[in-house]
Amino acid sequence: MESIQYDVVIVGSGISGAVIAKTLTLAGKRVLILEAGLEAGIALEGEAAYNAYQNYLETFYKAPAKAPNSPYPDLKDAPSIDVLDIVKLQPGKTSTKGYLVQKGPLPFASDCVRGPGGTTLHWLGTTLRMLPNDFKMKSVYGQSIDWPISYDDLKPYYQMAELEIGVSGDVHDQNYPGITPDFFGQQYVFPMKKIPQSYLDAVISKKTNKLKVNLHGKTYQLSCISTPQGRNSVPDTDYPYSKIVWNNREKKLKIEHADPYSNLPSLWDPYTGERCEGNASCVPICPVQAKYNALKTLKKADQKNLNILTKAVVSKVIIDDKTQQVTGIAYKRYTNPGEPEHTTGLATAHVYVLAASAIENAKILLASDAANSSDQVGRNLMGHLVMLTWGLSKEKVYPYRGPGSTTNIPTFRDGDFRSEHAAWISPIDNWGWSWPVFSPGSDVSTAIANGLFGKALRTHINEVVTRQVLLHFEVEQTPDPDNRVTIDPEYVDPLGNYKPVINYNVGDYMLKAFEAAKIVSDQIFAANDLEDHTVYNPVTDPDYVVYKGQGYTFRGAGHIVGTHRMGFTKQDSVVNKEQRCWDHSNLFLAGCGNMPTLGTSNPTLTMTALAFSAAENILKQLEH
Amino acid sequence: MSDLLNKTYTQTDTQPNNPKRQMLIKDLPAVPEITLLTKSGGIADDVSSEPMIKTLDDLKRNLQIAIELEHSTIPPYLCALYSIKEGTNAVASTIIRSVVVEEMLHMVLAANILNAIGGEPVINKKDFIPEYPGYLPGSDKAFIVGLEKFSEDSVNVFLKIEKPAPPLPKHEKNETGNLLFADPGYQTIGQFYMAIMLGIEYVNKHTKGGIFTNDPERKKRQLTQEHYYGSGGMIVPVYSIENAREAIQEIVGQGEGIDDTIEDSDKKLFGQTTEYAHYFRFNEILQKRMYAPTDTPKSGPTGEPIIVDWGEVHNMKTNPKLDDYRHQPDLLAKARAFNMAYTQLLDQIHMACNGAPEQLMKGMGLMYKLKYLAIELMNIPIKGSGMMAGPTFEFEKPVAE
Amino acid sequence: MKTPTDHITLFTEISVWLTGFNEAELLATGMLDTYYQALQANSSQDDFSYFFKAVEIILHQNRNDIASTEKAIASMLMPVSAYNGIAGSIITMWYTGNWGNTVISGQAYIQGLVWDAAQTHPPGAKQPGFGSWNMPPL
Ligand SMILES: Cc1cc2nc3c(=O)[nH]c(=O)nc-3n(C[C@H](O)[C@H](O)[C@H](O)COP(=O)(O)OP(=O)(O)OC[C@H]3O[C@@H](n4cnc5c(N)ncnc54)[C@H](O)[C@@H]3O)c2cc1C
Ligand code: SF4
Repeated sequence: MESIQYDVVIVGSGISGAVIAKTLTLAGKRVLILEAGLEAGIALEGEAAYNAYQNYLETFYKAPAKAPNSPYPDLKDAPSIDVLDIVKLQPGKTSTKGYLVQKGPLPFASDCVRGPGGTTLHWLGTTLRMLPNDFKMKSVYGQSIDWPISYDDLKPYYQMAELEIGVSGDVHDQNYPGITPDFFGQQYVFPMKKIPQSYLDAVISKKTNKLKVNLHGKTYQLSCISTPQGRNSVPDTDYPYSKIVWNNREKKLKIEHADPYSNLPSLWDPYTGERCEGNASCVPICPVQAKYNALKTLKKADQKNLNILTKAVVSKVIIDDKTQQVTGIAYKRYTNPGEPEHTTGLATAHVYVLAASAIENAKILLASDAANSSDQVGRNLMGHLVMLTWGLSKEKVYPYRGPGSTTNIPTFRDGDFRSEHAAWISPIDNWGWSWPVFSPGSDVSTAIANGLFGKALRTHINEVVTRQVLLHFEVEQTPDPDNRVTIDPEYVDPLGNYKPVINYNVGDYMLKAFEAAKIVSDQIFAANDLEDHTVYNPVTDPDYVVYKGQGYTFRGAGHIVGTHRMGFTKQDSVVNKEQRCWDHSNLFLAGCGNMPTLGTSNPTLTMTALAFSAAENILKQLEH
Repeated sequence: MSDLLNKTYTQTDTQPNNPKRQMLIKDLPAVPEITLLTKSGGIADDVSSEPMIKTLDDLKRNLQIAIELEHSTIPPYLCALYSIKEGTNAVASTIIRSVVVEEMLHMVLAANILNAIGGEPVINKKDFIPEYPGYLPGSDKAFIVGLEKFSEDSVNVFLKIEKPAPPLPKHEKNETGNLLFADPGYQTIGQFYMAIMLGIEYVNKHTKGGIFTNDPERKKRQLTQEHYYGSGGMIVPVYSIENAREAIQEIVGQGEGIDDTIEDSDKKLFGQTTEYAHYFRFNEILQKRMYAPTDTPKSGPTGEPIIVDWGEVHNMKTNPKLDDYRHQPDLLAKARAFNMAYTQLLDQIHMACNGAPEQLMKGMGLMYKLKYLAIELMNIPIKGSGMMAGPTFEFEKPVAE
Repeated sequence: MKTPTDHITLFTEISVWLTGFNEAELLATGMLDTYYQALQANSSQDDFSYFFKAVEIILHQNRNDIASTEKAIASMLMPVSAYNGIAGSIITMWYTGNWGNTVISGQAYIQGLVWDAAQTHPPGAKQPGFGSWNMPPL
């Protein structure tokens, strides 16, 4: 393998790395992926893929806490950020439990998977586009910053991302505040018809859709709409595309019609996963792979142009002092992930891409003293802050069925209020109170502790669990230079790589949004006659915050964004709008770290659109 | 007619409508108009150029039998499938499952044809479910089919069910073909469908304006591909004779095919990307080997070994009846719950095939429910018998509350 | 000395009383032996045998009388102090597949009866099929 001359080396086989690898290899470029995770997980076909995945599933079944990372191996030599490591921070104290060193004052509460395929293995799969105003927060609302590109610039790449991920949705439902009719383009349809909405959605929507709510003296009419998502449903015969190809003459990526669209089934069997089967475990694992994951994209790469080196943990980008060009990527290769023994290697190519997820990308750059003339590397770490409210419905709604969420309330995704407080989106959750209070297991243990048994217990569980309703208020977090990733020689992992050190807090702009969201939530609860069971616990909730004397708890959404942002100038950002580092012309960054702000969309669709655009720019550079 | 012959009999290796699928329908000797399948004996001699099925009513009746026939194989296959213990016999499970899904596809295809010619499929009546053990509907009663656990015996029966047609007699011009062995029995499913297809051709030709409905309301009764997934093949909505031919090819090609040389052909019909006929898929289980791309029907499977463990199976009583559970009321209740769900599934499919195609989606949910109920039954011992319970597949409507 | 078969029979019977699921429903999970063994492995010999003695007495003395059997179970078995909470542990096993915080096996998780009680299925197993969540449970 030493003898192969690569065009591009990519760090990470998550969706951002996979999209770039696929696009480049299909355009005839030779690509090496360096992947920190284990060999088994990279299997893309047949029995090997089946067995690797069954192992994950079996691990998940046996896991006492079915957290997002529970099915996937946690490697000492390449640890994953894990929500189970989040603890409440005492003032001035640092938590070193887990991979992240959390300095606070609040703990950062999202995680990701280090392993082949990356975090899409356990993502939920919600695929909303960002709204036009999300790209120009500064000019429209005087908040945060503007992107160097607009919604319209990104629109063709959104279409590619929707094809790649395989989005199911109904375009007609997608009425968001502040958009014009050409938001999707005339006659656009998603690759597949919408995922059926849940029975619970229907019950809640009955009283919530068109509900008028008051907020700070203004009246808003709520709407409940179906959510586009990356899981398989019925292919839409009107969908015209099936391929994304590099046109070398025009030097452009094109989305094209070749064959009728067919969805991506499981890696191991073409007849498994053609439809979402309602396993209701999308986070952390979809047993039938009806849900998109990045391995499906890797499988479509031109395998003869692709090499993947697993067990290779990247520690540094090597830069030539004089030319400021990257000359190689240094990695450490372990044999046994539990032991510190390793070999070192250097991977070389013409162009390099870091796609190791936002925190890891920033950490590698900091460790390399690279790309940081702006001093922005590692800064502006953000995510969606999920405030949950939960209650019991009079009517049985039968949760714990279907994908995590199939309907959302988009009303507060955009509006004038954004000059005062953050926007949010409200997914209606299909999985009862499992997230906030670990139902239904906790319902059983509480009932037993209260002496319930026999038929009475069975009835009680039925009465309580079938009525559980959970709403999310996913609040946009704005960039703050002090929310950041740093490194410190004091904190290293067994391979001697830096552990990311995190400083993190949440500002008033977001706290005000919690207040506003709770006001709206209370009105939804009242309209639906929901018995409120929401508890924000100041003692035990790690991310408990107080605003105007009221306490709120937020949780991480798994969205890790903003640590190497894209911008207009070399001074304000790490990469330019082509996602090339300002400081090193042969180093591209990929992933949510490039996003200057995040709006109220789960970030992966936008990031995937950006990855296609980055791939196009890399091809242009290579073909130059 | 000759169109059908051309279409059906001139391709050799793969099917015209599906390049991934084995073509098992072999070339026939050139024959004059419709002399192939004729009624044997008596008056038939005088009308030797007419097919066995020659009225619209006969056609409808036979398509209804086709639906019943397709359905009748499903309970036996399901019993074998569900008796396999979780996590074992993975390949065998996949094979049986794929066949079951395709049998359901065939049922729906037959219903589509029946709907296309103005018929009304009847799926939710008591005698729609055959008595097990028993003969396949419309068959020549050569072998008995029952509800049995996964075993060498049961898979052998499956091979018989899916066995391709025997040699077709050679025909001299104007000679009477005695193809139908025991009227109204057919020796194989493939022959039965050929008789139906020839009947369709004949009746369509002899009916003014043809037999395919143009009524837009009736056209809405067709099930389409949108309603199907999970295995090979596709739902062909039937609006014309061409569609009907396609639908029958779909059924016959996927099932057992028609070929007089099925077991001793030297054609290379296999390979990773090929969809084999059911017969070969079951044979893989029995031989504990996959077919390799270089294999021929004559060579048998010589590819990768398959792990088949006849012991990793729930010891389900053969052909269980509700009566076997009369001393265990809880078990009886569960078995009845299964039957009610099964009856409900038939109701659902009935509705889906009678103007409410979207009901098929609900049917899918019931399929899963049946699976879980069947496995539950197989975990419950029948007291004093040393054997486990199993689904009885008896028609049972829930009592109105 | 009780033979294991007797204990298994008693275990089945008391499980019916404790869980509110009938014998066929419990057997249908295929977990009886596994849970019996887990119970044996995780409780002290004394607790184990005294518990079964108590069970035997309760079931015998209150034969066929639902109210008095339930009363006896509530007062003699359900308190956490009784036999180190074995009764509660048995319920937890059947409902969740856990012994304490440990998942007994993958199958145990899948066969948890809490999901039946809640008219749904364990996340990640016993999938109900495309679109099923669009309607109330079957
Ligand atoms: C619970 C949860 C739910 C989510 N739901 C949604 C959702 O509904 N919608 C949405 O849009 N987004 C969602 N997300 C976010 C989404 O999963 C991520 O945005 C996305 O997967 C990130 O992709 P990536 O390729 O940038 O990084 P990752 O997928 O994290 O991939 C990074 C890759 O780099 C490798 N790597 C890391 N470090 C190194 C190293 N040092 N050397 C070599 N390789 C390395 C990793 O092994 C991995 O393969 C969710 C996230 C979580 C946690
Ligand atoms: S609901 Fe189930 S089948 Fe559907 S995507 Fe989620 S885990 Fe997969």
